[in-house]
Amino acid sequence: MATTFKNFLSNDVANTRTLLHEAIPITGSIVSGTYSTTATTDGGENVKTYGHGMFESVYDYPFLSSSANHIFDITAGYSAASALSGAANTQNSKKINLYNQMAQYLNGYATDGSIKPFKMPTTNAEMKEVFFVPFARLLTKDEIKKGSVTIEMGLTGSYNQDGSNFLIRGKLIDFSGSEGYYVDSPAGEYGVLYGTSSHLGNGYAAAVFNDETLGNSATMPAVGLIYYQAGVAVISGSLFNDETDGGVLNDDSTLDTTELGTLFTPTGFQAITGSTLDVFGNAILNRVYNISYNNTTELNSTIYFCRVGHSEFNYSSNPTYLSGSKLRVKTRASDTPVAYFSTVGLYSADNELLAVAKLSEPLRKDPTNEVTLRVRLDY
Amino acid sequence: MAFLDNSGDIILDAVLTDTGRMRLARGDGSFKIVKFALGDDEINYELYNKDDSRGSAYYDLEVLQTPILEAFTDNAASMKSKLITIPRNNLLFLPITKLNTTFDASTNMHSTNMFLVAVDTATEDELFVSSTGTSIDGVLMGESPTRSGNRIRLDQGLDTTEISPARSLDPLLVETQYAIEIDNRLGSVVDNTDGLAASVSFVDDDSLATYFLSRGTDRQFVSDIQDTTANTASNTNGGSIRGPRGTKLVFKVQSSLELNTSDYLFDTIGSTELSAVIGGKSGGKTFKTIDTNIRVTGVNTGYRIDIPVKFVKLVS
Repeated sequence: MATTFKNFLSNDVANTRTLLHEAIPITGSIVSGTYSTTATTDGGENVKTYGHGMFESVYDYPFLSSSANHIFDITAGYSAASALSGAANTQNSKKINLYNQMAQYLNGYATDGSIKPFKMPTTNAEMKEVFFVPFARLLTKDEIKKGSVTIEMGLTGSYNQDGSNFLIRGKLIDFSGSEGYYVDSPAGEYGVLYGTSSHLGNGYAAAVFNDETLGNSATMPAVGLIYYQAGVAVISGSLFNDETDGGVLNDDSTLDTTELGTLFTPTGFQAITGSTLDVFGNAILNRVYNISYNNTTELNSTIYFCRVGHSEFNYSSNPTYLSGSKLRVKTRASDTPVAYFSTVGLYSADNELLAVAKLSEPLRKDPTNEVTLRVRLDY
Repeated sequence: MAFLDNSGDIILDAVLTDTGRMRLARGDGSFKIVKFALGDDEINYELYNKDDSRGSAYYDLEVLQTPILEAFTDNAASMKSKLITIPRNNLLFLPITKLNTTFDASTNMHSTNMFLVAVDTATEDELFVSSTGTSIDGVLMGESPTRSGNRIRLDQGLDTTEISPARSLDPLLVETQYAIEIDNRLGSVVDNTDGLAASVSFVDDDSLATYFLSRGTDRQFVSDIQDTTANTASNTNGGSIRGPRGTKLVFKVQSSLELNTSDYLFDTIGSTELSAVIGGKSGGKTFKTIDTNIRVTGVNTGYRIDIPVKFVKLVS
């Protein structure tokens, strides 16, 4: 009997998993000034604030435009046990709540049910004051690729809008992420962000970070965590403080504790106590020089091996194949039949077309050739 | 030593059709790929020139240069013609499926070269008998299918005068199962004798209903063509096929309840026509109409034919 279908056998179907990576470069100027209207309290037209004041969202274009893409959020918080915590602080409870919320989500609970605070796994030091950068799922896709994260910040002590914020820069990198990550988080795998000097200017020649020996990765201080599947960076507030103020920056008259915007005196992360999270978020955004990472998309594929034997699919039901029921491609009955195909259809048992694959050009099929088409369906 | 030809192994990326996505979303296990077929929708075999004086390498030159379109995700728009596996290489003729409009007046098409389906009793009354007192050709009774003998008949076989119809069709080429696709919003398939509905196999995301009808189990629809005499002007019992004959498919169409009781679809996807075109007892009437196609495909031979149908409703 003639037939137009061929059933797959069990060895004709295979499953594969592929990881796709894309480079995501976030140019700092988009974050720290391109769309600013006023440089002090307003993050710019691409930074969306909310009535609740708990976080703000950064877009790659003024967010009122339909062309704008959400790239990340920014917020900060501190532990109730932090020295910065105080009832007189602006949004004190919100900052504690945010810290606890992120800690319970990313760190989980201790055996007694209490929320585990953020700790640096390399030193077991508790991070009581942090800021958070949750990256948009639009960009991180399934997860951030380990070992690909770079967050470069302007760490010049004084604050100016002439670009001098970025004369001295430090870079946070998860250089050991691909082989030195941790798995004890309920939110998936995470790695450590280490600080390293990336640009020395303004007459400053020493390392940006305290005790860092330039060129020696072993001396880089751990200043944050990156949660790969959650797509969240948790960065210690000590990034903006010098050694004297309990931070990781070199204690030098040129560098000093960072001034986070003109509203604040050079108090480093302590500025969080007197400002709302919106305003404080803007202050951090003004220090962002560049962010980059690679995302990961996990592609699950089923490959169908369409094996077309020499005696199969040599005729066509195309109406142009016949002229008065006679094959156009033959003169005599003994001539070899030939047909051409451009499409592979994958069908259910009840003959419903479920998927289609196209060739780039017609393929000839006759009794002298066999073809195996590998049709891949991605999920 | 040369490299081996590796062109026999080709990797293609497939896209899910809308029906595929619907079944996947349903999550009931109905998304299961179990077989494949090869399509040649873009190929025009008239470009195959077996008389090319430059030699056989040039016969299919133009066919192979055919540009190929990207995949459609509409399941009804892809794989319209398929390649066929027949375990014989020495065939010079292949069967087709052909609308039989010559058997008698009851299988004729309407003067508009379509079949008309009267969707309610008032329309049937108007179109059942023309002003001359004879049945209007090609009008199917959609409200009461048994009211008239008009029906759709398709014949399958080798439509050639080069082989006598007295010869039997190779069993390999006899179509034993047909798939009928019809817009489920407009109508359904019923049998010729009792007007009983055929069981629908599935309705896809575009409301396209598919009926599979087999010679073995649906004899009221599919049966062998018994007459093997040559057709003449006075004898068309053998049907429309001039050579060896296979099977015939006979059915009627019942209008949907929606068309029967509502004008919504007529107003949305239809138009209006007058008695001058549609015909009718009294004339001077206006009808709401919807043009569509009923697609019939031979499941084994893959041959496909679209039958033009007009659903008609009397307005005034």
